[in-house]
Amino acid sequence: MTELAQEQGYAPIIEPSVTLSSVSEQVSEIVLRPGAPRWWWVGFSFSFALFLLLVIAACWLFINGIGVWGVQIPVAWGFAILEYIWWIALASGGTIVSALFYLTRSKWRSATNRIAESMLLCAIAPAGLMPIFHIGRPGLFYWIFAYPNAMGIWPQFRSPLLWDFVCIICYVLMSIFFYYVGMLPDLATVRDRARTPLKQIFYGVLALGWRGSARHWARYKLVYLIMAAIMAPMVISVHSVVGLDFAAGLTPGWHSTQFPPYFFFGAVISGVALVIMLTILVRWGYGLYGVITAHHLNALAKVMLTGSVMLTYSYALEAFGPFYGSDVAERTMFLERLFGLYGWIYWVHLVLNAFIPQLLWLPWIRVRPVPLFAISLGIIVGMWLERFIIVITSLHRNFMPSMWGNFYPTFWDWATLAGSIGIFLTLFFLILRLLPIVSIAEMREIIHEERQS
Amino acid sequence: MSEAPLYGITAEFANAAALLAVAQRLRLNGFRRIDAYTPFPVEGLDAMMHPPRRPWIPLLILFGGVVGAGYSYFLQYWAAVLSYPINVGGRPFNSWPAFVVPSFEVTVLFAVTTALFALLLFCGLPRLYHPIFNVPDFDRASQDRFFLSVEASDPYFDVERLRDIFERHAAIRVSVVPA
Repeated sequence: MTELAQEQGYAPIIEPSVTLSSVSEQVSEIVLRPGAPRWWWVGFSFSFALFLLLVIAACWLFINGIGVWGVQIPVAWGFAILEYIWWIALASGGTIVSALFYLTRSKWRSATNRIAESMLLCAIAPAGLMPIFHIGRPGLFYWIFAYPNAMGIWPQFRSPLLWDFVCIICYVLMSIFFYYVGMLPDLATVRDRARTPLKQIFYGVLALGWRGSARHWARYKLVYLIMAAIMAPMVISVHSVVGLDFAAGLTPGWHSTQFPPYFFFGAVISGVALVIMLTILVRWGYGLYGVITAHHLNALAKVMLTGSVMLTYSYALEAFGPFYGSDVAERTMFLERLFGLYGWIYWVHLVLNAFIPQLLWLPWIRVRPVPLFAISLGIIVGMWLERFIIVITSLHRNFMPSMWGNFYPTFWDWATLAGSIGIFLTLFFLILRLLPIVSIAEMREIIHEERQS
Repeated sequence: MSEAPLYGITAEFANAAALLAVAQRLRLNGFRRIDAYTPFPVEGLDAMMHPPRRPWIPLLILFGGVVGAGYSYFLQYWAAVLSYPINVGGRPFNSWPAFVVPSFEVTVLFAVTTALFALLLFCGLPRLYHPIFNVPDFDRASQDRFFLSVEASDPYFDVERLRDIFERHAAIRVSVVPA
């Protein structure tokens, strides 16, 4: 493949040197090799240190209460909530890549879907913890479950906050099932290649005795297709309901009908950005240049660009609303958001999410790992800032001037943020070590199809 | 060897095309209890070897979804209308638009859960031991080789005849599998 063709995104979906046996061997060896590479240990130690910081921050929070954070009236929703939204958006990217693009029969999905889904499961962990940290009495969080109880009361099913909880619980379970079904044939490959009895038993039990018979495959394909067809609308609903949490509130800056799709657009751009970052790192770390090519980066970058364009549209609409409507509070809040104490955050997030991603229109940027990584990192930071803007600047200028106030994060706010990144990375490094990170069976199918034609 | 009970006979092939050719041949010769083991789903292989079946799996998944929908809506109805009704400005207790979202989520959760268990049920998994695992080289069925098996319970089962067919179709190795 010539340099020019590569630059224009015509890279092969799989390098011609990759064969059925080589892909099975290369991906299985990642988990079967006796020791981990040095970069894994460096990354894991760093992540685990951050994770320990989360443990300390959580203990400090549980001992002292949420006063250790910067939250107070009127800004009662702080970092915990904005990080919850941030993480759940990042998680959604995993399902978007793996379920939505399975339905469109995009071949590039096969090399990246396992990375995306692993990312999803790791990102759900901090997303699920944050609301529990936030509620102040974390020991009583189970009250939100609908169960017959001695108090004789029920959760309020008309509240978007409860819908959100139901969504997350369902999403976690469904994602695990989808992940597991997708991985079943690969676990069998790892089982068959394992050399030590311990690993043979471990992967043998996980693979459930998968034999890859024609009957198995026919049912597997059917079930996987149905699961993907259910997961795709499901993930749209999950992040839309997060948007409804806000839209159902009367606070200026929240009470907007565009929130559900607006939040989903944010999930597309930030989730895919994180998939791109992890894909670039995994490809570099394990030398998977044969199965993850410029083709995949190009395709992912296009999805991210689409997300950026949709999100820019939402930003424009969000700015249009306060001036088209006649609500003074909305307008005051919005002007404060642009030019007030947190004004610089607004402009930075606009640059990171709306302007810089437009570079992706250039084909040669889309296949270059370094600029792509930088743009993705910018988007992830930008999306964190967007959540900050939505949650905090909306609350800091409420209807009455007596309800105006500022939010200043404390050390423990930042520690929770760093720790949430720590738990995500720790889990991701563990999955990298234990489970096949590329869908081997789907890669074999692609090799077969490519060589036949 | 011929005295011991047999599971069947298998042949190993290097590619999907050879496997498809011999599967077609066996099918035309009346063999019914045949199966193939491949590293990836081969288009049309199952449909060629096995008679079409009723779509039980999609129906089961639909059933799971309907149960989930009924269960979740009833739970909300029970809580908001029967067990603990709260009058909010005279609005109806059965405020169905608000119940749609949790109902949708639980519906799809039940459907996907059913899909997982239907897959395991119809594949006969988990089943950690199977006679086919005794075939030499079978670990490559999950990597780069294609296996075809004819079970001993097939009415036309005949080791010598099958061995002949397999070898004429360029089988890499033919093995007789004890039960």
